Formats: sequence, structure tokens, C-alpha cells
Amino acid sequence: MKNTIKSQYWVHAAVIGSLYAGLTLLLAPISYGVMQVRVSEALTVLAVFTPAAIPGLATGCFFANLLGPGGFGDAVIGSAATLIGALGTYRLRNSLGRALVPPVVANALIIGLMLRYVYSVPLSAIACILWVGLGELIACYGLGVPLGRVLQKRKGDIGL
Amino acid sequence: MAIKDITLGQYFPGESAVHRLDPRTKILGTFVFIISLFIVNRFAGFAIAAVFLGAVIAASRVPLKFMLKGLRPILFLIVFSTLLNLFVTTGTPIFQIGPLSVTEEGVYRASFMVIRLILLIFGSSLLTLVTKPITLTDGIERLLSPMNIVKLPSHELAMMMTIALRFIPTLLDETDKIMKAQTARGADFESGNLFRRAKGLIPLLVPLFVSAFRIAADLAMAMEARCYRGGKGRTRMNGMAFTGLDALAFLVLAVYFGSIVYVRLVTA
Repeated sequence: MKNTIKSQYWVHAAVIGSLYAGLTLLLAPISYGVMQVRVSEALTVLAVFTPAAIPGLATGCFFANLLGPGGFGDAVIGSAATLIGALGTYRLRNSLGRALVPPVVANALIIGLMLRYVYSVPLSAIACILWVGLGELIACYGLGVPLGRVLQKRKGDIGL
Repeated sequence: MAIKDITLGQYFPGESAVHRLDPRTKILGTFVFIISLFIVNRFAGFAIAAVFLGAVIAASRVPLKFMLKGLRPILFLIVFSTLLNLFVTTGTPIFQIGPLSVTEEGVYRASFMVIRLILLIFGSSLLTLVTKPITLTDGIERLLSPMNIVKLPSHELAMMMTIALRFIPTLLDETDKIMKAQTARGADFESGNLFRRAKGLIPLLVPLFVSAFRIAADLAMAMEARCYRGGKGRTRMNGMAFTGLDALAFLVLAVYFGSIVYVRLVTA
């Protein structure tokens, strides 16, 4: 029984990772760069419902970035940002509104600074942080929160 | 973008020496190369990095066309950054176009940034061009295995990554089917402002989650039926071992990194 639960946890994480990477690649032109709206970031809301989303989202981000234009460096830094955001979401899971603050902040700061200092985007660090933060805000609050409300009603059907 | 247009992974099959290297060597090499690009503080350092990378690309026999393809998505970023650096940086003017002047410092800064960006993209995309994603995952598992001491489940993480990779195409197919079914029922994924369009994806995501978690439940049950017990005592059909080729690669890497550090220290 213990093994079944353990296998299920990792398989759930893997499937969440596939969903994240698949959605990012599907919406590729707007998923990368300074002016990015990574719709798949709305999936961070899944960390409200299952801890399996924490490694799952980080893995999904790792593959999405690895298969995207940024390569290995982007994959490592991006997945670290997503991991921190998802951990924060899980900790604040009691309130849907507050739960999505950590991914917005973690991504805006880490990815914004990465774009500025690693990819040398010729905008100020604050501008990079605000651009990424805005895209993240649209993904998390435009889609993530409404999605979370639907999932709260239907988590039994979905198997969360 | 149409789902059929998506290519997963960019592995370029081959039997070159670079392809045959242990994935751990390639991952560590990529890390060292990326770090080295941030140690460089003058063009001489970039010249060394370019020669090193050029030699590795030549040894890998990956056509240059393939490497250049990786630059296409960031072409806008390169052009935008170059123009902004050229015209915004203040300093000794070289020539003037209307109210904008190009300065010596601007040319230096723009060239420095573009060279670093191109080397960064080439260097990190080479890893995925010469390593299959599954091999890469195995390499990550082995590199993370010492972390088992601090209870990091490296085997489970690698297994999760392998399953995640395996299911990306399956879930993309599923997304395509659901998208068509919902469009036929009147769902609109393409009109309205960004918030409205984002919210419009809910009729796609909810059935997708139902389907994905059903797949996950079936897979977990199948693993259980085959007595899966995690990484403890598990053996591999294809073992991983460092060879003489890897030793040579580490030696070349050490010489390269030493040269980069030397150039940096000399100019400090």
C-alpha cells in the first residue's frame, strides 16, 4: 500500500510535468523571452491540491526550457524559480488568492534577473522583473485562480 | 502553433566522440562552459571559448545549420539588444544618424553581449543535440545520487523525469483532441484580451487534467502490478561508466577553463 501511494505520487508529478512542458511548447512564441506570458504557469495552482505538483512543475519547467531556445542554463535557473514558487504555493495552500503570490514573485525576480544579467537584455533589472512579473500575473491570476476554483469543485472527478 | 508542428527534443543522432561521451561528462562540461562565459571580461577570453566550442562542434559532426536553427527564436532579442546597446551607450562618438550617435563604448558593449549570448546558446544547445533526453535523465540521476545521503530521492526524480518526457507527446495528442471537441461545442480560444483568453483555456484544461490523472492512475497500478519498489537494489541493462575518452574530455576541459581563468587574472 505504501509503495502504491509512493508510485502514485511520482507518477502524478510526472504527468503534471508533462502537462506543463506540453502547454509551454504548444504556446511557444509567448512562453519564452522578456515579454512572456507562460500560460502553463497557471498550473502552479495544482500545488494547492497535491504536493506532487512541486517536483512535477519543476520537472516540466526543466524540459520546457531545455527543449526551448534558452537551453540547459535556462532549464536549471527556470526550474529553480518554478520549484521555489511551487513550494510557496503549497505552504500557502489554504488561501487560493495568496497561494499564487510566490510563483509570481519567484519568477519575476529570478527570471527577470536572469534575463538582465545572464542574457544581457538591455533593459534595467527593475524593467525585466516587472515585465516577467506582469506575464506571470496574467497566467497565475487570469487563468490560475479561475482554474483553481473549478478544480476545488471537481477535484473528486479529477482524482486530485 | 499547430500541435503537429512541435518537435520534441533536438537530438541529432550520431556516433561521434562527443556523442559517445558519458552524459555526466557532457552535463558537467556544459556547466563549466557556461560558468567560463561569465568569467570572461575581454574579447581574448571569448576567442578561447569560441575556438574551444568550435572544436567540440566540429568533433560532434553536428551540422552548423542545426546549431544556427537554435538561434532563430532569440534573433529578435539579439537584434533588439544590439541596437539598444549601440545607440543608448554614452561615450566617444564614432558617427551620428540623426539625433542618435553610435559610440565606441556602445560598439564594444553590443559586440561583447552578442558574442556571449551566441556562445551561451550554442554551448547549451549542443548538450541536447548530442545527448538523448533519456540518457540525459540517467546522467542527472547518477550526478544526484551522492545527494541520497541527505535523503534526496535521485532515482525517483529520474524516473519522474523519464515518465514526464514519455508523456509529453501523449498529452499533446490529448490536448489536440480536446481542443477540437471543445471548439466544436463553441469554445473560443482566440478572441478577447489576454485575461479573457487565459480564462478561455479552462474548458481545455479541466478535461485534460481528468485524462492525465486517469493515465497516471493506470500507470501507477501497472507499476505496482510489476512489483516496482523504487531504486533500492535496482540494476541497469545499460550501465554507465567513464572511459578513457571521458578522461581526455576532462583534461581538455581543465586546460580550457585554466586558460579562461588565466586570461581573466592577467587582465585583472
